[in-house]
Amino acid sequence: MIRTAYARDVHASTAVRSCRDQLGPDRPELVLAFIGGKHPPEAALSALRDAFGDVPLAGGSAAGVIAGTAFGYSGFEIGLITFTGANVTPRIFTTRDLLADERAAGLGLGVVVQGNSIDGSAVMLLFDSVANVSPLRLHPASQLMEGFQEGLGGRALHVIGGGLLTDINISDGWVFEGGEVRKHAMAALVFPPNLRATTVILHGCRPVSTFMEITRINGPEVLELDGQPALTVVERMLGLELGTTSGQQLSLVATLGQKQGDPFAPYDENNYVNRLILRADPAAGSITLFEPDFAVGTRVQIMSRDNSLMLDSVERGVADLKTRISGQDCVLGLYIDCAGRASVMSGAATEEAELVISSLAPAFPFMGFYSGVEIAPFAGNYSRPLDWTGVLSILQRDS
Amino acid sequence: MSGELAGKIERLERELQYYQREYNEIGARLLRLQEEQSRASREARRSRIVARLIRGAYQIVNRDMPAEAIGEPLLASIADTSVCDRAAFLTEDPATPGRFVIEHGLGPKVGAQVTLEQPPSFLYTASGQKIGPAGEALAALLGVPYLLWAYEPASRRALLLGNHTEGNIHRPFEASDQELVEGALSVYIDVLLRKLAETTLRQAATAAEEASNARARFLATLSHELRTPLNAIIGFSELLLDSGTRPPDREEFARQILDAGQSLLSLVRDILDFSSLSNAVPRLQLDWVPVGQLLQASVRAFAAETASRGIVVELLPVVPRLQSFIDYDRFRQILSNLLGNAIKFTPTGGKITVSARSTTRDGVEIAIRDSGIGMQPEDIPRALEPFVQLENTLSRRFPGTGLGLPIARQLTEAHQGKLIIDSADGRGTTVMVIVPPSRMRLAPDAAAGASPG
Repeated sequence: MIRTAYARDVHASTAVRSCRDQLGPDRPELVLAFIGGKHPPEAALSALRDAFGDVPLAGGSAAGVIAGTAFGYSGFEIGLITFTGANVTPRIFTTRDLLADERAAGLGLGVVVQGNSIDGSAVMLLFDSVANVSPLRLHPASQLMEGFQEGLGGRALHVIGGGLLTDINISDGWVFEGGEVRKHAMAALVFPPNLRATTVILHGCRPVSTFMEITRINGPEVLELDGQPALTVVERMLGLELGTTSGQQLSLVATLGQKQGDPFAPYDENNYVNRLILRADPAAGSITLFEPDFAVGTRVQIMSRDNSLMLDSVERGVADLKTRISGQDCVLGLYIDCAGRASVMSGAATEEAELVISSLAPAFPFMGFYSGVEIAPFAGNYSRPLDWTGVLSILQRDS
Repeated sequence: MSGELAGKIERLERELQYYQREYNEIGARLLRLQEEQSRASREARRSRIVARLIRGAYQIVNRDMPAEAIGEPLLASIADTSVCDRAAFLTEDPATPGRFVIEHGLGPKVGAQVTLEQPPSFLYTASGQKIGPAGEALAALLGVPYLLWAYEPASRRALLLGNHTEGNIHRPFEASDQELVEGALSVYIDVLLRKLAETTLRQAATAAEEASNARARFLATLSHELRTPLNAIIGFSELLLDSGTRPPDREEFARQILDAGQSLLSLVRDILDFSSLSNAVPRLQLDWVPVGQLLQASVRAFAAETASRGIVVELLPVVPRLQSFIDYDRFRQILSNLLGNAIKFTPTGGKITVSARSTTRDGVEIAIRDSGIGMQPEDIPRALEPFVQLENTLSRRFPGTGLGLPIARQLTEAHQGKLIIDSADGRGTTVMVIVPPSRMRLAPDAAAGASPG
């Protein structure tokens, strides 16, 4: 049995009590919680303990919560998923070593998951996105996933996931791990083998430049594009005064996209891996991306966020998903939505999350959250981290 | 390569460069257009914040909650609509202008204070802008550097919003945000004043209703209390007028008429007393009164009645030379009312204990404890209201206006004292009259037996 509940209140205890009332008195085997970032984590943990006793906990902070009936990103939302029964309850494996070495932490967790799963198992990864608050540094999901995939060996899993934030401004993030509130930790929720996942990735970016080659890069910091300072190239595109741009201005506007497959194939949103811009350094003329997975020689295009394309992508993606899950025994819908897609940030006239809910109209338990990074199977291959996407995944009982 | 082919390649390369240039130019325009559209949409959303707040505020105001409870949900609504990290409503201390206390806070602690030399009506902080002392103090209070502040001196209230990062969601705070923060503050003040007015109105309505109920109770009680002795007077007078009435009976009837008349007189005195005490503090003839003598005299006055009812009244020993600075006659009235009540509600064979104790901390405490019917704790406040005799089977048997306790309390309070009732249903009642330490002393030996007055 899987149940979901959503509530919003300035007091975590009140919101959790409201959720508990919606879920009924039964004791679940696992509570997966998404806690609005304005709630003090200890208060939320205490409220969950009061409501559920010593039931195992997973989840953590969320920049916002998306439920089947409501959604919000005020920081006071709480969304809970409870699992009861071995046929639906995921097993949880964790690592606390992200700060030391993300790749190594991912590798270690991948090895454990490999030994506790079978091919095709659905796995959800949750970790706190912010490694350091000032200066802002994220835990690079690309390194986590690189390690995780290596740890899996040949195991082919259906991996989805997200980076947890406390708010849309990427102020911080935390996770529940081992019954405590932690940072620099990642949890893998390995679902029972009788559950399979069907996932679509909802996009929203369009290339607005010709291909450019990264000619200088240091980790996530792109110094040059086609031999020119990367920041100058982006500023010129935007018509901004050169050398005056902050990273936050850019993160609202443009991304760098890497096209997969034939570079000259017609535009297909599913062929692009986008990287948001975290900050800009006018002195170095560089832009720093969310992830460090581009290299010298990587051909990229400047991508524009396109709100109408984003909404079109939702309608297309949800329609495709509904076709694929038609007639299936769906037990849970999960939505991992980039925080930047919220209309308060994107400026979209329609809330994208609202469109997802209304288009999907789930007749099964549904819960989602606003994330810092999304992880999903990409182009039929291993899962990888994505920016500016919505990852919509439905768990079904194996027929 | 032929010249023709080379020319073709050159043309194609130029054509490619042309398309690249145009693609990039159109792409850049698209990018800017998209951003302008997004920015316009975000600004439009921002401009709707106050309107959304008003809508949310009136949803809150229509809920049944006291005025002091609306601050928190309204603050949450402001934080939600403006998407800020922290927020607080502050009130200015009227005794210390410039000192603000957090009344409701999301993030900062309620009760935290800040003092501003000259509180600005509006303030915002942004990087590259000089932050004055007020901005620094408010940033320290809220725990974040980027602020929006509005202050309304007339109501002594302020709203403070803050963010961890400058580019929160759309853009840094700027001067044009004055409308937003002042609008939000105005909505709060309007809703608060409306709630306070509602509360005042409700209290006035409740008071009026209570007064009306009291008047109705008074008339009902009074008509009953008047009718009983008047009926006796009229009835026995008619019997006296009957020439056939025997002389021994005439004497008895005359006594009944006298009793009824005295009862009426007592009733009228009580009503006048209560009325005058309700309108003005009584003028007291204060003097040092020996407490022991006061209690003895009060108990003695009821000796005949207690004897006839078979009720034992025990006066416990009083500390010798204990005196209290009181109006002797008024205190006799207090004790008379309390003893009268105790006797009235104590069944035959019951016991009443009268005692007095003194401490330097509490003063003089006179206690009258009966073994009567007692009352429920929740009924005690009602027993102190005028014209109320608690509804129970025993009290129906007892006449009275229900003015004894209210008069006793008013007279006690006129002495800066307190009247406290401790009672349990079926286990008797203890009434304590406490006179403050400033009105207590141990008299010199010579004065110990001095008469009051």
